[in-house]
Amino acid sequence: MNSAQIEIQLIASLVAIACAIPGTFLVLRKMAMISDAISHAILPGLVIGFFITQDLNSPLLILLAALSGLITVVLVEQIQQTGLVKEDTAIGLVFPALFSIGVILIAKNANDVHLDVDAVLLGELAFAPFDRLIISGTDVGPKSLWVIGSILTVTLGLLFAFFKELKVSTFDAGLSASLGFSPVIIHYGLMSVASITTVGAFDAVGAILVVALMIAPAATAYLLTTDLKKMLLLAVFFGVLSAISGYWMAHILDASIAGSITTMLGFIFLMAYLFAPSKGVIAVIYREKQQRTEVSLITFLLHLKNHSEKSERHVNHLCEHINWQKVRAKTVLDLAQQNNMIIIDNNIVSLTDKGDAFTTQAIDYIITNEDAQIEDMKDDFFLFRG
Amino acid sequence: MAQNIAVKVDDLTVAYNYKPVLWDIDLEIPEGVLMAIVGPNGAGKSTLIKAILGILPPIAGSVTIYGKPYKKQRALVAYVPQKGSVDWDFPTTALDVVMMGTYGSLGWIKRPRQKEKKAALEALEKVGMLAFKNRQISQLSGGQQQRIFLARALVQNASIYFMDEPFQGVDATTEIAIINILKELRKAGKTVIVVHHDLQTVPEYFDWVTFLNVKKIATGPVKDIFNDDNLTKTYGINYKVSIQE
Repeated sequence: MNSAQIEIQLIASLVAIACAIPGTFLVLRKMAMISDAISHAILPGLVIGFFITQDLNSPLLILLAALSGLITVVLVEQIQQTGLVKEDTAIGLVFPALFSIGVILIAKNANDVHLDVDAVLLGELAFAPFDRLIISGTDVGPKSLWVIGSILTVTLGLLFAFFKELKVSTFDAGLSASLGFSPVIIHYGLMSVASITTVGAFDAVGAILVVALMIAPAATAYLLTTDLKKMLLLAVFFGVLSAISGYWMAHILDASIAGSITTMLGFIFLMAYLFAPSKGVIAVIYREKQQRTEVSLITFLLHLKNHSEKSERHVNHLCEHINWQKVRAKTVLDLAQQNNMIIIDNNIVSLTDKGDAFTTQAIDYIITNEDAQIEDMKDDFFLFRG
Repeated sequence: MAQNIAVKVDDLTVAYNYKPVLWDIDLEIPEGVLMAIVGPNGAGKSTLIKAILGILPPIAGSVTIYGKPYKKQRALVAYVPQKGSVDWDFPTTALDVVMMGTYGSLGWIKRPRQKEKKAALEALEKVGMLAFKNRQISQLSGGQQQRIFLARALVQNASIYFMDEPFQGVDATTEIAIINILKELRKAGKTVIVVHHDLQTVPEYFDWVTFLNVKKIATGPVKDIFNDDNLTKTYGINYKVSIQE
């Protein structure tokens, strides 16, 4: 690896981390689409800032762009508060308007500035190492590395300082307000960080990838954990993983880096969506199948408990009586036998003591719906897990 | 009256989009009562609590807690929002939710430590949920979630408790467990204010009641004012409940 390659991967990874942190809270606040709005709506601020400073990494440009991101958030809320349209409609109204102002500004001045719509949408990570930061004659690295590094440092500082406030206001805004942690201040703080991060990342990865980097790692992490801190760590991990694997995918395929990173983000999400241990599609299908079997088992055991006469308990009669197909009847019969709940003697099925006790307990639970009674059953049976 | 006034509401008017939902409310809640706020849907019951706690800004009027504005008295007040107001799929555990009750006394930036954790565990024990402390909150039943919310209020160790429909969607066992805890709080001299829906249980559970329907209809001891006259004025139809003696 040469130094430019290392620098590109480093920039991509820092961008991924800086995006994953506000992204996690946006996902939990069900505000994923606001990041799309911000990433497009910063364009007019970016263009105006660029006209003034002629430098894509100038702090003034970043501030102006972040400001137009915040204006988007305020406008969306104002339109929504009139009650005339819903939030998604308000988002759809505001950001194209702002984005198009940016597009017109670029088009009017396209001949004399190095800023075009393609670069805005997709970014160009590959060129990032060429724009160096020179301090008193010494080359200290690519400018965008310093920009995103500074933004990430501030973001991390804010996260550590205000983690508890972010958590409580995201989970329960009412409680947060009553405790004196103004949800409005925290909301705008988060939106400011999201806007500034978007601007910082924008130059390197473009408007579309910024959204993907904010939302996809957080959404993936959400499927894999039930702990906020772990969710943050996992989101950061998946962001960096996508950034680096995406870089090498682009290298091998000779394709766009931004496009490859986004593809990896989508691929990793798809893997989690399918294979996540408890929330994944496959786990859910498996669990539903288990539940069906267990409901059948309890139905079957209850039938045995209610009928002492032999004719009702003959193996062949069970298929007809409970109206099950042979395969299902056999599955249930085997399951009951494996768990020592029944004994079969001369094709006559009887409940064991264990089976009898289990049935009583299960029926009690279903009737009273009291959780305390079945705590010890939960490990064995999916049916009773929430 | 010898009793202190815990909460005093003066001329409070609250509006959503310039449509008043609470109109000119005057209310004095004496210290140490267990009070129900009753009224039909849309009567402004939750809004009244939210306005008292400064969550919703009033367009007129004022609220004092033991004679001072709420902002200065936060430490004296605990709030249990409606269970449905939060996302129970949020990635956190029962213990962590209860710990949130300690955040107010910590203030900005400071993190909860062992002392806060110990208080949270004690509160979980009080509501009979200690065994569930590490359970993810979406894995709890509706009644268990409500107990967690109650524990979170208990951990605040406040003087005044505001609860928004704590009995909504809970089973009978939990309802009894909750009301027993509320009665214990009253015994300890705390003031408890509950938005309540089930009129049948008002005389059994509460000693004080406020009838509300955009305006305040009546407030006072249950034995004096919980009658068909006030119910009819509040609910607008001929209302008859048999008051259990």
